[in-house]
Amino acid sequence: MNLPPVTSPYYDEEYETMPRAQLEALQEELLLEMLPHAYEHGALVHETWDAAGVHPRDIKTLDDFRELAPYIDKDAIRRFRDERGDPYGGLSTVAPAELTAIMSTSGTTGDPTLVPEKWGGGGGGRPAVITRDFWGMGVRPGDHVALVLFTFRGPTYGLFQSLGTIPVLVDFDPSEMARFCELSLRYRPTGLYNFGSVLINAVRDVCDARGFDPSDVFSSYKGVVFAGEPLSPRARRLAEEWGVELYEHTGVGDVTAAFECPQHDGLHIWEDTAFVEELELDGDRRELVATALVNRTAPLIRYRSDDIVRITRDPCACGRTHARMWPVGRKGDEIVVQGKTILPIDVWSAVESVDACAMGLFQVIRSAREVDVLRLRVGYAPPAIESSVRDEVAAAVFDATGIVAEIELVPNAALLRLGPPHKIPRVAKR
Amino acid sequence: MTAWGVGCYDDGAARVPWEISHEEIQRDMGTAAKTLAGLGIGAGDRVLFTSMLSEAGQFWPLIVGAMLSGAQLSCADANEGDAVRVAMFTRLIGYRAVLGITPQILDGLDDLGRGYADVFAGVPVLGARPGAYERLRDAGLSPHWFVLCGPAVAVATAPGEAARVGGDEWELASDGDRVLVTNRRDRATTFDRAPTGVRGQVSDGTAVLPFEREQ
Repeated sequence: MNLPPVTSPYYDEEYETMPRAQLEALQEELLLEMLPHAYEHGALVHETWDAAGVHPRDIKTLDDFRELAPYIDKDAIRRFRDERGDPYGGLSTVAPAELTAIMSTSGTTGDPTLVPEKWGGGGGGRPAVITRDFWGMGVRPGDHVALVLFTFRGPTYGLFQSLGTIPVLVDFDPSEMARFCELSLRYRPTGLYNFGSVLINAVRDVCDARGFDPSDVFSSYKGVVFAGEPLSPRARRLAEEWGVELYEHTGVGDVTAAFECPQHDGLHIWEDTAFVEELELDGDRRELVATALVNRTAPLIRYRSDDIVRITRDPCACGRTHARMWPVGRKGDEIVVQGKTILPIDVWSAVESVDACAMGLFQVIRSAREVDVLRLRVGYAPPAIESSVRDEVAAAVFDATGIVAEIELVPNAALLRLGPPHKIPRVAKR
Repeated sequence: MTAWGVGCYDDGAARVPWEISHEEIQRDMGTAAKTLAGLGIGAGDRVLFTSMLSEAGQFWPLIVGAMLSGAQLSCADANEGDAVRVAMFTRLIGYRAVLGITPQILDGLDDLGRGYADVFAGVPVLGARPGAYERLRDAGLSPHWFVLCGPAVAVATAPGEAARVGGDEWELASDGDRVLVTNRRDRATTFDRAPTGVRGQVSDGTAVLPFEREQ
């Protein structure tokens, strides 16, 4: 599609501001097209729906879908993969020879699962994720955009090139932050995708060592996107001191992704690409459930994300009508210690308040959901003295939670090797 | 036309940014298609690329070349953390080639307690960078040299043979044992006997046989 006028705040105004009733009618139309396709060609959906005694012909409205459609989750995909020898976990709906690419999920919660893709003609609908979001931040053709990423999602830079912007390519690695600062000062990018607490702390260290002014490094950026996990309180403070406008970004149950808009009042989910629901758990906790509306290569249907969220469909002050969500945490990250529920975010400030642990790298050891002792594996920067660091962290965690924790210290580098540092697994079984 | 992007290469002393045009990416796709054909990669094959994002200027032509040849592609980072992804991919998918294997990936496999011969069993073409090549060979595998000579990609068409860059685009030379690169056609960034960080023996201006590293 053609680019909009540069003065437009919207990349795709018709779709981004579509009245709710029209948007829901569009969702229903897309869903009713998707369900027979996913059932006929997707082995996992077929098996799950048969087991539930539901057929796509039983679904005639969104309400029917809400009432009758069975759920699937990541464990079901892994189980199908392992039991049937189907590398795609029963999700692929096209012949293997038709696939262009075989990518993978991040794997933060365990073994990555495969994501079969068909580029060009494989569905996908109108340009949405990234294009609409970065346009909304004010990124325009001819701008440079800093991409600080990994490669497992495939060539994300193509989306930025389709906006007429010029990607400046940087590895998602704390050791790359000196180069990031130099390139930011040289090319003056307007957008950054994406950052996290570890990298913000690394930028601070580089600026201290090299004499860069972090406010100058970030002065050209209209938006800096962070993702993968919540920004730590320390990293957020630093970014705000530098005048950085932060935009939160997260996945939507492996179906799509969501970004904040300039109102910073929730993350927009493009509902012409995904149908999202909240599943009531206990108390006022709600789990995000997502269904693909346009991905006809490997559509997830009523996929339980494990993410605890809050969602509203009230219109946003930005004029967009699509749902907004606020991530609260991950269901699998909760741990109950001596009857008290603890999430990683509850100990984060305490860990990073200790200078040797300022990177905020830690894992909660979750051998079971309910445990008697809170055990934390915490990264630190040698040559700090281990015993004093351990005592300082334990004291800070006690102040924050009222719980005496067992602290295992490991060098930061050991934790960074566990995964892309935008989200090392914050919870480990042992 | 706007630039394609700003990538990065290693000159042996530092990581150097290079500006890349759409035109040169288009030309490099043609070179890449020939390289892949030389490795026997064609329709129905699968290729796993292991690289870092800053190397996209070198790898994107290969990725598109694979796609245009009808092969299917996968991507993983070329670092320790993504060794688990590489192992997952090779366990689940039958690849014709894994290209760009680094010492860091092998370090990650060591951390996981995974043997190279096990992870890469059944992959006919292993394109290994200096430092990884020697370790794979010592594990009983038959890797091909896969060498980033700065912005240019050199790949060997057979195990043990020298790796070659596209001769229409690049010229290799040496200064002692240091490999230098020069662009033969116009590019957004000019390379004139630019250092590449590779140490090896250059022949006929396009072939490089890296010196092996002590393990």
